[in-house]
Parts: sequence; C-alpha cells; structure tokens
Amino acid sequence: MSSKEELLKRLSDGVVDMEEDDVAEAAKEYLEAGYPAFDGIMEGLVDGMNRASQLYEEEEYFVTDVLLCSDAMYVGLDILRPYLPEVSSDDKITGVIGVVEGDTHDIGKNLVRIMLETAGFHMIDLGRDVPLAKFVETAKEENADFVCMSTLMTTTMGGMETVIRLLEEEGLRDKVKVMIGGGPISQKYADKIGADGYSQNAVEAVKLAKRLLNVA
Amino acid sequence: MAEIKDFQCTYDNSAGINSEVTEGLGLTFPDAYLHWDTMAALSKALKSHDGAAFCELPFCHTVEAEAMGGIINYGNELAGPRAKEYICTSPEELLALPAIDFSAGRIHEVLLACRALKEEGEHVVLQVSGPFTILNVLIDAKYVFKAMRKKPELMKEVFEKLGGEILRFMEEAKKYGADLISYADSSGGLNILGPKMAEQVVEDFTCGFLAKAEALADDNTMILLCPKTTFAMLGTRKAHFRDLKLSGPMTYGEGCIEMIGKVRLAGQMCIKNVGYQLENAVFKEVVLE
Repeated sequence: MSSKEELLKRLSDGVVDMEEDDVAEAAKEYLEAGYPAFDGIMEGLVDGMNRASQLYEEEEYFVTDVLLCSDAMYVGLDILRPYLPEVSSDDKITGVIGVVEGDTHDIGKNLVRIMLETAGFHMIDLGRDVPLAKFVETAKEENADFVCMSTLMTTTMGGMETVIRLLEEEGLRDKVKVMIGGGPISQKYADKIGADGYSQNAVEAVKLAKRLLNVA
Repeated sequence: MAEIKDFQCTYDNSAGINSEVTEGLGLTFPDAYLHWDTMAALSKALKSHDGAAFCELPFCHTVEAEAMGGIINYGNELAGPRAKEYICTSPEELLALPAIDFSAGRIHEVLLACRALKEEGEHVVLQVSGPFTILNVLIDAKYVFKAMRKKPELMKEVFEKLGGEILRFMEEAKKYGADLISYADSSGGLNILGPKMAEQVVEDFTCGFLAKAEALADDNTMILLCPKTTFAMLGTRKAHFRDLKLSGPMTYGEGCIEMIGKVRLAGQMCIKNVGYQLENAVFKEVVLE
C-alpha cells in the first residue's frame, strides 16, 4: 500500500499533468487507506492546482492547460468531498461571479473562478450571459462579500456599471466589493464606473480579492 | 520553435449596433437580425455611422454554428445574437452534426442581404468565423481543449469538417457578390491557446485551410485575415508579407477595395478598425509559403 505522502503526490501530480483518471484512482486509494479527505484536498489536489497556477504565472502553462488541470482537480474533489466533515460555508468568504448579459465568452471567467476557489473562496458561478439583476439578487441572497464580472465585448461592458448602480440602489454597495476583468476592461474603466478593482488575469484576480477583502 | 505574436484587439473601431445607428430605421429587434432586407438596411446604416468604405455582414458570429444546429439567443438592440446552451459534449457529436444548408435559415438571409447590398453598388465584407468561434457556440471549450490533448486525431477530423463548411460558405458568399471575405477566429487566439497549441493549430488546420481559401480569391474577391491569424502564420514561418504600393494614403478598408483582383490574401490590420490609415500607402499582401 502507498504511503500518505505518495498518494498526496499522486493527487498533486495528477492535477499538474491533467490526468483525470490518475487523480480518480489516487483519490479512491487514498480514501480506502483511511487518510483524511481534508488533507487529500489541500495537500494533494489544491497543491497540484497551486503548482499549475505557478506554471501559469511563469507562462509555462496557458489558459487551456489550467482548465484541464482544474478538470482533474474537480474529479478528485467529487470523490474526496463527501468524506469531509461538515463545515459551514458561512466561515468562508463568498463571491458571486459571472459573464455579464449579452456575452457568452466564459473561458477567462472560469479560470478566475477556479483560481479563487483554489485560494479558498466560496464562489457562486452564475455562468455566462447573466441578467444584470441576477448578480445583485444573488449577492443579496447569499450574503456575498464580493462580485466578479467579466466581458470580452465593448458592447456589453456597460452592464458592469449597471450592476454597480443596482448594488447601490439595494444598499449593498458598501458591503460588497466589485471586481471586473475581460478583454476591453482596464483599471481606467474600473475607476470610471466605480468598481473596487480590475485584474488582468486569474492570478492577479486572486491577489486583488485577497487585498480587497483583507485576506492574508 | 515558432514565435507567434498576438494581435491585441483594439476598440478604436466600429462599436457595432447601437441606438444611434438604428434610430429612424423603424427596425424592431431581434427581428431585424433575421431577415435579409433588415440586415441590409442595418449594414448600410452601420457603414454610414462608422464612415466605413464598405458594408459588413453579418452582425454576429453565430450564423455558421446555427446552421449546423446550434441554439441561438437572438438578443435585442443592445446585445446581438449569441449562443444559448451548448448542444455537444464530444468530438464524436460534433462530427455527427449536419452539413450547412445555404438555401435556408438565417445563413441564407445573410447571403441574400449580401446580394442586395452588392446590387446597390456597395462593397461587402462578409465575415466568416473560424473553427474555434463556431465551436464556441456548439460545445463548452473545455471539451475542445481536452479532446485536442486526448483525442487529437478525432479533433483533426472536426477541424477538417468545420474547415470544409467554412470554405463552402466562402464559395457561396462569392456567388452572392461579397468582394471581401474576412476570416477571423479570435476564440482560437494565442492568448487563449498558448504558443504550443497555437502552433499545433496552424500546422494541423490553418495552413491547409488558408491554401484552399486563397484559391477562392479572384478578380472580384479578396480574402482578408484577422491579424491574429496573420501573425500566427507569420510567426510559424508559413507566410510572409509582400509590400505593394497603393495609389496614395488611404484607410485600410479603401486599400483592400483598391487591391481586389491584385492581392489574394491580406491581413495587416483588423477590418473592423475602420479608421486605420495606411499613411505610407503600403499595402501588405499575405503570401503563403
């Protein structure tokens, strides 16, 4: 039987190497050996995803690679998560994320969600082409700490400002931070519409979220 | 190792359909996106608003995918047609999709609009989408990237099938009078694929596809490339630029029109950058190796 360290390494390597089947096999063996699911997730899967993020930052990996790494991570998570002790999601910082109405380009948004989840945030993904009011409704219902919006199109970027205005109207703006990103978006645009921050890529988005929400 | 540069899409160009453009046309949306006569009216209004040298069609990148079975949200005046839900999850399903019927549906209306504009004496830029853009409507990108890694031979077949459909669309566009056929696939750009996969796509698909597309150019038709595609070809040394002198400084669009019949393939600038000036009067032909 493999040791805990060996299995953790297989989980981590499986994520980095984008090998879903290897991750699934290692996750099952890990549970059968009686090791705690939490360590498997944090020291195996998340460790692998962090290594993938590092490779992305170093431009060794690209968007497509990280997406495939995350697929492998989620396969492992599906196996290990049911064995986690119940933890209230109230303890986690919650974010709402989506591509604004009118746009369906969601690769960047998915990457940001994955990176934020890996960093420990509880993310509610509304998907793509999201009606603007939905961001605000969800932020209210879920008591979210921040909202992330993206778009690749100039024709739809105005929707971000609408969401900020709706948050103000609902009296939520002071408690919900707003982060934006996407092809045509810039810091200047974020300043113009009154967003709290802009990030150019997924790694920067995690740093920005941590800074805005005072997470170490 | 190839060194592909990325072309950054700028937005100093046509902002697309908006209320300023559509005011006074008496159009209702999304109905206006569905019929050749309203498409032609919109295209002319957009040309006039942007001060462009040509009319553009269509107004979205979903017609090819819709004609293959994709589900479209036609949108409204503020946001145009776009993908709704995906219909495939595997390359096998993509290969089973039907061939495009150019005599029916919205793609036929686009062709009819093209003919109507041509008959009114307009230069028409027909924009065709590349495989990644088409796939973006049909299937979640993660399945595409996964299949490119795990089932490369099958994905080659998918690209071949899509390439064939795109070429047939280009042939139809010629029949209906498009004098500039613009090919773009920004969903498969360097910033998304990364250098390795971008090079693989050039090798496996773009080279062969463009050789066939170039053969469609003639005295009345030129093929335009999105600069992202041009740079991918230049960076992998599969093409080079050849400079040609224009009659004088002019916009890129005017330059394209002047070079119809003299140049087969162009792509130094984004055709949507309607105000881009060729101040030194040099037009760059893309010559395939």
